[in-house]
Amino acid sequence: MKMIEANKLFKKFADLQVLRDVTFAVEQGEVISVIGPSGSGKSTLLRCLIGLEKINDGKIIIEGLDAVKTGKKAYRKMGMVFQGFNLFPHKTVLENLMVAPMLVNKNNKNELRKKSEKLLSKVGLIDKKDVYPSKLSGGQKQRVAIARALAMEPDIMLFDEPTSSLDPELVGEVLAVIKKLAEEKITMMVVTHEMGFAREVSDRVFFMDEGKILTDSTPDEIFLNPEEERIKLFLNKIL
Amino acid sequence: MDYILNVTGYILEGSLITFKLYLATAVFAVLLGIFGALGKISNIKFINKVLEIYTWVFRGTPLLLQLFFAYYGLPIIGITLQPFTAATLTFIVNYGAYFTEIFRAGIESIDKGQYEAAQVLGMNYRQTMVRIILPQTIKRVLPPTSNEAINLVKDSALVAAIGLGDLLRAAKVVVTRDFTITPFIIAAIMYLLISSVIVTVFRQLEKKYSVYE
Ligand SMILES: Nc1ncnc2c1ncn2[C@@H]1O[C@H](COP(=O)(O)OP(=O)(O)O)[C@@H](O)[C@H]1O
Ligand SMILES: [Mg+2]
Repeated sequence: MKMIEANKLFKKFADLQVLRDVTFAVEQGEVISVIGPSGSGKSTLLRCLIGLEKINDGKIIIEGLDAVKTGKKAYRKMGMVFQGFNLFPHKTVLENLMVAPMLVNKNNKNELRKKSEKLLSKVGLIDKKDVYPSKLSGGQKQRVAIARALAMEPDIMLFDEPTSSLDPELVGEVLAVIKKLAEEKITMMVVTHEMGFAREVSDRVFFMDEGKILTDSTPDEIFLNPEEERIKLFLNKIL
Repeated sequence: MDYILNVTGYILEGSLITFKLYLATAVFAVLLGIFGALGKISNIKFINKVLEIYTWVFRGTPLLLQLFFAYYGLPIIGITLQPFTAATLTFIVNYGAYFTEIFRAGIESIDKGQYEAAQVLGMNYRQTMVRIILPQTIKRVLPPTSNEAINLVKDSALVAAIGLGDLLRAAKVVVTRDFTITPFIIAAIMYLLISSVIVTVFRQLEKKYSVYE
């Protein structure tokens, strides 16, 4: 089953054309890494998929639903993790996980608490459940953010450079959690500069450049023998 | 000593009006400020414009002028208000303008990532404001709100100018009658006591809201 279908997406900010004719599809359980130079439109692509930005043209189909027309019901099938965490600072770790499900899904509080605690155990942070985010390291914050997104039980997870604002020694713990999700066959799109991770975990790699998906290939194809000169240059710079 | 107690009792009676004015202004001006701020950040152009003019006028003219306008000016166009009503309404609208600006700045200081996180978690506008944005705003607006709360104590004395028998006016009556300076000193002490209580309350609030720092 196709989880995401993007068809001829166009997006511009004022005079700047940021997405030009982006088309792709993602199957259930697939892990897609999105790589490419800064400013190529990777974040904008994810933000358009989940409705944080409006597309100017094209179609986004999420599990068969036209996202722009359907709105919330389609967007809710996705969760998103940001580079800057965006945890709610005035809520404890556990409250961060519980606030949205309680308001949006009207879940039973006790069940929700159990479920949230389970998620915290899964990301290895159950002992931090009653502390405020300001007391956490970057890596811990991002793991809470992942658990918070999972608390809404999305079918699809979008990650926008989840490790880019972390100290190098904290990158591993976050990638490990994302890897675990990949093994559970959650459909994911991950914008990342971690080429080792992209190579190891993803089923396909999108290389974006100037608002286009220049190549859509397997990790081996792109990392072992990239055809395009642009990609070779990019990989040489980053590796 | 008896004299001092006597005078204090008289001034305390006057302070009743001050307290009533203070309470009514504090409650309704804060409410007005919250809705004013939400209106200012809304994208309804008409409301933006109206509120722009509102805060411009009421922050840009003297409170005493506004008070005179409400009490001496409005009767000319056929609206006559009791002194206390005129004073309370003027104070609410005037302080509402300041609170509108304070709360607007507070709301706008919250990172836009907070809105985005709430949105991708499926929260609607009301849930986002009530559960995520406003609670964080409270903490940031406490210091400027505390300033206004102190200002209000002092500004409340302006109502003596339209003949209301407030704390200051009661003191002045005794000074004129007995030709002694003591009542003013008693009044000053009362103002200081009230201000100190307010400062303490806000300090407690700030402590409470700093737990997540
Ligand atoms: N809200 C915005 N307003 C104007 N320009 C934007 C906005 N968001 C992104 N851009 C521009 O769009 C281009 C693509 O940005 P982005 O999607 O963030 O790229 P990437 O994530 O690949 O680095 C950049 O040139 C960026 O400056
Ligand atoms: Mg980006």
